[in-house]
Amino acid sequence: MAGYKPVAIQTYPILGEKITQDTLYWNNYKTPVQIKEFGAVSKVDFSPQPPYNYAVTASSRIHIYGRYSQEPIKTFSRFKDTAYCATFRQDGRLLVAGSEDGGVQLFDISGRAPLRQFEGHTKAVHTVDFTADKYHVVSGADDYTVKLWDIPNSKEILTFKEHSDYVRCGCASKLNPDLFITGSYDHTVKMFDARTNTSVLSVEHGQPVESVLLFPSGGLLVSAGGRYVKVWDMLKGGQLLVSLKNHHKTVTCLCLSSSGQRLLSGSLDRKVKVYSTTSYKVVHSFDYAASILSLALAHEDETIVVGMTNGILSVKHRKSEAKKESIPRRRRPAYRTFIKGKNYMKQRDDILINRPAKKHLELYDRDLKHFRISKALDRVLDPTCTIKTPEITVSIIKELNRRGVLANALAGRDEKEISHVLNFLIRHLSQPRFAPVLINAAEIIIDIYLPVIGQSPVVDKKFLLLQGLVEKEIDYQRELLETLGMMDMLFATMRRKEGTSVLEHTSDGFPENKKIES
Amino acid sequence: MAAGGGGSGDPLAPAGVPCAFSPHSQAYFALASTDGHLRVWETANNRLHQEYVPSAHLSGTCTCLAWAPARLQAKESPQRKKRKSEAVGTSNQTDLLALGTAVGSILLYSTVKGELHSKLVSGGHDNRVNCIQWHQDSGCLYSCSDDKHIVEWNVQACKVKCKWKGDNSSVSSLCISPDGKMLLSAGRTIKLWVLETKEVYRHFTGHATPVSSLMFTTIRPPNESQPFDGITGLYFLSGAVHDRLLNVWQVRSENKEKSAVMSFTVTDEPVYIDLTLSENKEEPVKLAVVCRDGQVHLFEHILNGYCKKPLTSNCTIQIATPGKGKKSTPKPIPILAAGFCSDKMSLLLVYGSWFQPTIERVALNSREPHMCLVRDISNCWAPKVETAITKVRTPVMNSEAKVLVPGIPGHHAAIKPAPPQTEQVESKRKSGGNEVSIEERLGAMEIDARKKGKDDLQTNSFPVLLTQGLESNDFEMLNKVLQTRNVNLIKKTVVRMPLHTVIPLLQELTKRLQGHPNSAVLMVQWLKCVLTVHASYLSTLPDLVPQLGTLYQLMESRVKTFQKLSHLHGKLILLITQVTASEKTKGATSPGQKAKLVYEEESSEEESDDEIADKDSEDNWDEDEEESESEKDEDIDEEEDEDAEGKDEENGEDRDIASEKELNGDSDLDPENESEEE
Repeated sequence: MAGYKPVAIQTYPILGEKITQDTLYWNNYKTPVQIKEFGAVSKVDFSPQPPYNYAVTASSRIHIYGRYSQEPIKTFSRFKDTAYCATFRQDGRLLVAGSEDGGVQLFDISGRAPLRQFEGHTKAVHTVDFTADKYHVVSGADDYTVKLWDIPNSKEILTFKEHSDYVRCGCASKLNPDLFITGSYDHTVKMFDARTNTSVLSVEHGQPVESVLLFPSGGLLVSAGGRYVKVWDMLKGGQLLVSLKNHHKTVTCLCLSSSGQRLLSGSLDRKVKVYSTTSYKVVHSFDYAASILSLALAHEDETIVVGMTNGILSVKHRKSEAKKESIPRRRRPAYRTFIKGKNYMKQRDDILINRPAKKHLELYDRDLKHFRISKALDRVLDPTCTIKTPEITVSIIKELNRRGVLANALAGRDEKEISHVLNFLIRHLSQPRFAPVLINAAEIIIDIYLPVIGQSPVVDKKFLLLQGLVEKEIDYQRELLETLGMMDMLFATMRRKEGTSVLEHTSDGFPENKKIES
Repeated sequence: MAAGGGGSGDPLAPAGVPCAFSPHSQAYFALASTDGHLRVWETANNRLHQEYVPSAHLSGTCTCLAWAPARLQAKESPQRKKRKSEAVGTSNQTDLLALGTAVGSILLYSTVKGELHSKLVSGGHDNRVNCIQWHQDSGCLYSCSDDKHIVEWNVQACKVKCKWKGDNSSVSSLCISPDGKMLLSAGRTIKLWVLETKEVYRHFTGHATPVSSLMFTTIRPPNESQPFDGITGLYFLSGAVHDRLLNVWQVRSENKEKSAVMSFTVTDEPVYIDLTLSENKEEPVKLAVVCRDGQVHLFEHILNGYCKKPLTSNCTIQIATPGKGKKSTPKPIPILAAGFCSDKMSLLLVYGSWFQPTIERVALNSREPHMCLVRDISNCWAPKVETAITKVRTPVMNSEAKVLVPGIPGHHAAIKPAPPQTEQVESKRKSGGNEVSIEERLGAMEIDARKKGKDDLQTNSFPVLLTQGLESNDFEMLNKVLQTRNVNLIKKTVVRMPLHTVIPLLQELTKRLQGHPNSAVLMVQWLKCVLTVHASYLSTLPDLVPQLGTLYQLMESRVKTFQKLSHLHGKLILLITQVTASEKTKGATSPGQKAKLVYEEESSEEESDDEIADKDSEDNWDEDEEESESEKDEDIDEEEDEDAEGKDEENGEDRDIASEKELNGDSDLDPENESEEE
């Protein structure tokens, strides 16, 4: 005797936004902590060494925050004017910052007064960075120059006067102590070599460059300016690899995730976009309350810090993984229970009798197996089922219809039960994937309950709602039919062109088109 | 990096828009908004008094403004005097308003004339003007600028009297001492100048950022033991950009102590400061500070020497919208400015947007440490039509003047308190007949123009929004655009959108077509528009079929159920008519046999209709009269037979309409139904 075959639940593709690994990863942050700074937050930089403190440059101060503290653990406020671009050294001990009055100051993290002051720029210094050997500082200023300074004797080593507008961003190579890159408002990004005292490479970005970034390998360069983020291949001599235009306002900051697999860009349009560095497609996007000026990611992406024009610093911490573990799980039978006796090797005279595996049946399947059709239907019309997995409900209805007992299952219901059914219909009738089954069910219900109609105001109301919905759907489909007509026209013109180009083509257009579509 | 294109280029520029109350009576409030308009509001009734747009308002926006002191009005240019003789009753009206611009010029605007009085340019500043101060007595004007100089102007001659370098960096603020012999200037440090010799008398240092406001808080020294030389012993106060402290300084006789004597803390950077001067020793100085976060802090303090701890405010005033219902949370309304009234016991608050500020007088109660006023400003957002945009100055009238109004005589009766009868007669004679008054015509024109402008504006911004939304894939932005119901707007937007966004829009629409018919219907409108408007463009695309294939398939699969659905709809209609019919019969049977009566009324109505029809027909067909009558009888018989049915159908129709209403959101009928049933 053949066993009962469980109802095949049709699976449908999930509609709406796809949930990818990336959305899961980037959504896994707590609600942001917001800290009010004195002015627009122009730079956020994480210390590369534990405990991964971060320096926030806003107005004329530099605050250093710890990982969880919401109060600055240290403040450097000895600036006469706006400070810019406070950056940690690789060992996290020193901090360098530029200033509106053209000075570059070097601080010890534990001290208060500057260790070194590099005087030489005549205008605001917007970008500073340490070179890979830790003993030099690169700075770029509004006087169009880029300077290289020596830390031990606080002397200027080299000056590059190749830019023809403000130098607003730059970064030093992590591998080569002599290489560094600057971006300027003259639309160019230049790579300098300290050994040659001229630029070795120059690429044309096309807009005033607001931010540059070198990949850790040094092979790829990312520049942001205007609404574009552009990726350049340095090893091929500055060839444009890809140009991304996903913001509708100026992109102001760039950042790499700790794995190097994702690139983040923040913009004045109040969004942070996350790109995959393999496909260069946007994989996620964050929204913020104000225009974004600065952006930084902590070690292992533990924290996202975003500085905005309104002086608010938004800090998001990653949700801790440990929490999930702590939920007590029900103890399941040990693994060996399941494999018991499985490794028994059959011997010569043994006759192996397989005990039929007990099939696990869902509750509705059990009901169906015993022909309790009404109960099965009740089970799947339960709100927990209809909301979470409407496809199960629809599949059961379909199965009942196949057996020819749908009318029986639907009949004999009281006011409450019938309104459950109608609720489900109202909710899902307009979905094209369920529509054929549900329309059928609706007709059967009407046929059954026609004689007793008008006895319950609740049910009557539901019918009214259903009628309104159907009416709207019909209107909508009528519109769609019209639109289909238009599209047919368009496709028809296409076909004619194809017809002229491809000689052997003779058949009429429609099936042809469909073939192309599919 | 900061200057990427954000709002104000200079991060250290003082916050808030330049604004000021007119001196003494505070009858007017001038506000130079960021769109370059100067607006003068009447504080008493919160009406727009005047609006002025400087010709260079886009290149050189207004950075600061100052009212001329009232006494100055007497000695003015001869032209001004002539006008004054004409207009009686404006003697103490403040007139001149000095505006400093970002390009360095200073404009003098006359509120009485409603036009530009003169322009101070030659030999002046060549950079942004930061502050302007009028001298109380001499009629001089002092201004300071980013070009590091302070300039003394002769207003009558519109010439520079003196110009000197005030600081090593930009000079951000000025203040004239109460006796008019000294001048305070603030750049990197605060300096006290002797105006006669233009020499520095004292230095004060202490602020890290540019000083945005300076003000003398006392006019007499606290102890009268020493002879008063006009400056020694006076206190003044200063606020700086990005600084949450207001410092108070004292001018000492010896040049030793340089730091501030005390400070006031506020919650954010001060935007506007007003204070009452104390005349005697016992009376405290009252200080109102408007912060950038929209709060007002009130301080009361007797200034007597050094105080180490920063003082906190006695009272904080905030304004918020009422939170109507559960969903709308109260939102704070920013306060733009606050000024003490002459009685020192109440405060004039200006709040809302700079576009349409609300001015209100609030009595002070010093006992409460925190005041939160709940105001609904949502209804004042739209510009008032009757007061809006009048460059034309309303003529000053005295009581004896005769007013001749063209047009309908009674037209102005509502506005004018009681125009004498003779005037009306005269005006009637003059403007013969029922002409439309000029004002009405102007009004009509103005409204038309505004409507047109608004429409244009919206369709201009919609394509931009749409393109931006598609480029950055901003869900909210797209929602805003795509969920419009206005077909005209959709059409205009589609026409104006750039061509390269057509395919992304179609893809976005594909996503949105799958939803509930309620929202999807709107998307179809967009789709149709795109297809009709850009048909030629689309047909030239070589990869049109793969591009639109999914869309086509999606729509096709959806319309597959059309036939079945229509079938179901028919059934449902029948069902619902029956429901309503049965309801009606129930309702009819319960009061007893009265139903007949109802029917008779209906039939009589029909009869009367028929009669009318008959009358019409009688003219044409006299012979058929009998026949038609007999037919009518038959009709009645038939109707009697189908008593229930006919009525049912009718009621059913009624019910249908009702049901439609219900679906549209009128759920008023439901409880009624239920009660009927029970």
